[in-house]
Amino acid sequence: MGSIRFTGVNKVFGPNSGGVKVLDGINLEIAEKEFVAIVGPSGCGKTTCLRIVAGFEQPTSGSVSLNGRRVTGPGPDRAVVFQHFALFPWKTVRQNLDLGLRNKNLAKPQRDELITAALHLMNLESHADAFPHQLSGGMQQRVAIARAYVLDPEVLLMDEPFGSLDAQTRVVMQEELVRLARVNPRTVLFVTHSVEEAVYLADRVVIMTRRPGRIKEVLDVRTKRDAEGWNRFQKIEDVMDQESFVHLRTHVWKSLREEKPDNRS
Amino acid sequence: MIDPPLSLRETMAWGLAGVGCFLGIWTLLTVSGLVPAQFLPTPLDVISRFIQLLTTPFAGATLPQHLASSFKRYIVGVCLAASVGVPLGLLMGWFRWLDDIIAPIFEGLRFIAPIAWVPFAALWFGTGIGGPVMIIFAGAFPPCLINAYRGARFVDPRLIEAAQMLGTGHLRTILEILLPASIPSIVAGLRVAAGLGWQSLVGAELIVAASGVGFMMVQAQANVSTPTVMAGMIAIGLAGMLIDVLLRQGEASIRRRRGLTA
Amino acid sequence: MTRRRQTWVGLATLAMLVGLWFGLTTWSGAVSSGRFPSPADFWSALTQILTRGYAGGELFTHATHSVILVVVGFLVATATGVPLGLWMGWSRRAEAAINPVFLLIRPIPPLAWIPLAILWLGLGDAAKIMVIWFAAFVPSVINSFAGVRTIDRPLIEAARMLGTPRWRFVAEILAPAAAPMIFTGLRLSLQAAWTTLVAAELVGALVGLGLVLNMAQQDIYPGMILVGMLSVGILGFSMTWLLAAAERRALGWNMAVGSER
Repeated sequence: MGSIRFTGVNKVFGPNSGGVKVLDGINLEIAEKEFVAIVGPSGCGKTTCLRIVAGFEQPTSGSVSLNGRRVTGPGPDRAVVFQHFALFPWKTVRQNLDLGLRNKNLAKPQRDELITAALHLMNLESHADAFPHQLSGGMQQRVAIARAYVLDPEVLLMDEPFGSLDAQTRVVMQEELVRLARVNPRTVLFVTHSVEEAVYLADRVVIMTRRPGRIKEVLDVRTKRDAEGWNRFQKIEDVMDQESFVHLRTHVWKSLREEKPDNRS
Repeated sequence: MIDPPLSLRETMAWGLAGVGCFLGIWTLLTVSGLVPAQFLPTPLDVISRFIQLLTTPFAGATLPQHLASSFKRYIVGVCLAASVGVPLGLLMGWFRWLDDIIAPIFEGLRFIAPIAWVPFAALWFGTGIGGPVMIIFAGAFPPCLINAYRGARFVDPRLIEAAQMLGTGHLRTILEILLPASIPSIVAGLRVAAGLGWQSLVGAELIVAASGVGFMMVQAQANVSTPTVMAGMIAIGLAGMLIDVLLRQGEASIRRRRGLTA
Repeated sequence: MTRRRQTWVGLATLAMLVGLWFGLTTWSGAVSSGRFPSPADFWSALTQILTRGYAGGELFTHATHSVILVVVGFLVATATGVPLGLWMGWSRRAEAAINPVFLLIRPIPPLAWIPLAILWLGLGDAAKIMVIWFAAFVPSVINSFAGVRTIDRPLIEAARMLGTPRWRFVAEILAPAAAPMIFTGLRLSLQAAWTTLVAAELVGALVGLGLVLNMAQQDIYPGMILVGMLSVGILGFSMTWLLAAAERRALGWNMAVGSER
């Protein structure tokens, strides 16, 4: 449950003849409960890939399927965590979490139970009745993640979710995400600019070329991670100190650097 | 949930359908006799009356002549509002004590709808040009003042600090720092003022005028000449639209020159 | 400047104005009472309309009548305008079909409808409501429409991702998201309604504050004119204030709600 397959996905924005080709022949298989990060230069189409899985965009040709069935539109089975949170400002934290559950026509006692669990999971209990603007950026992103988690989705789609947070908060969130992912795993597709973030979080890292985006390389991180036992470290800086981590990170950097246009270094 | 944009062809098709429906129902109401033609002339009647009025006088003058009278008052009123409102707004934005004195007076008077000044206007100016000008002033003045004020008050403080460091006196600061920095806000205010001024003009002319489009319409109403009333409404609408379009262009080009697009 | 000092300056200005009023009229006679009422003139006009009545009724009668017309017209206009604006916002077809007709009607200043309204419906309340409706309808539509079109796209996508059905989307996402702009439209509608009513009553009416102003002008009764103007101002202020209070309650979640000059 939760396997994703990209088959020959092309995406052109604008008229077919003169438009911008953003994705070129993407083929990728993501196994269930796998954590896959996509990195690549700006404009390479990594967010577009995620949005196609989410159902907000349609491929120009080719298809994306979930569990063998073609993706046609958005839904709570592929929960999205947006970069700028997209919390409903007029709803409290609790109400924000409740909407998706009400859409599933769950009964109130059940909804309350799920919400309480999600609030506890993301350390939000004391802010349950606050409005988003009363919370810090990090807290708002927690709410966004809780809103996704409370749906118990097969797939979690995260579009640079920590991009608008300051450096310290970002690190805290990354550690939390790792904790969540290891404890309650599900398929995750994670788009990011940050190479360190990708290598730290993911089982596999997909490296994309510059526009039109193709898959340049797919790196297996998990094998190295299990072999070197990164999971024994609680703190992110200890993991990043590992030689194996540094090797992988440098590998990805070098691969990305090749994608820079020639007239810049 | 929220529809994606339509193609140009679709937009035009639906638009034509909408207008067609509107004109169709209108014409049907009159032609069928459901509404007497005295009250609701057909669109064609209105258009032909409009054309007729371009050359045939009604209530003392042709439509273009009435429009010219209206326009004369309008320009005087708006220019007066701008030439008092903008400098005063800038000064109030700069000199806090001036703001504190004038603001309460302004806020108090503001709640009196411009049209409510008509009786005094009639008392003081009769049907002379002063009456409508006063009403237009009452309508156009607030946006001029407010926007100039906002422009001056919310200038980047660092620009002011730079000016002070360079030893710039009050007058020069206002003329060479505040005014240029406030131009976008002032121009937006002028556009709003022009619109409000036009609306106030119409109201004033319904009561305290002996010429102009508003006056023409009141006379037409008294004579139960509905096509004339509607022709007048069209003329007023077209003129107002033209003024707004011109000012928007002006505003857009000024913003572009400042690098403030959109 | 501190709040305290601001109040003092405000009161001082007020005192100065009142002094000026007395000075120019009663004490020096620089402004004749045919032009502008002295405080005494104003006071006698006020007592007259409060007790004996003027232009067919007491101040309370006129004021209530005007206010009721404004409120009714405002409610009808916003009840029709806001849903239409919202609909045009989310349905491109509705927008494409209605917009051209709307663009034809929109440039016509509300007051320009008065002669037509009188032709159609006479000098009574119905004509006033019609004109108020036209005046207040347009800002509601435009602002509700803008409110929908300026909704942050991620909010819509989040709602879709959560599987929100259409009716719930309109009630819990569209309307609250558009609410700030809807309220801006309501403010403009109320302003337009009030101005239009006074104007309509000035042109021709049987009761109301506009009629008071009209009669006072014809009778050359500056004291009463001033009474009428101040009544218009005070009532306009009160209604605006009430709407602002309602806005603050409804939009408590929006930290951008605040006072503006």
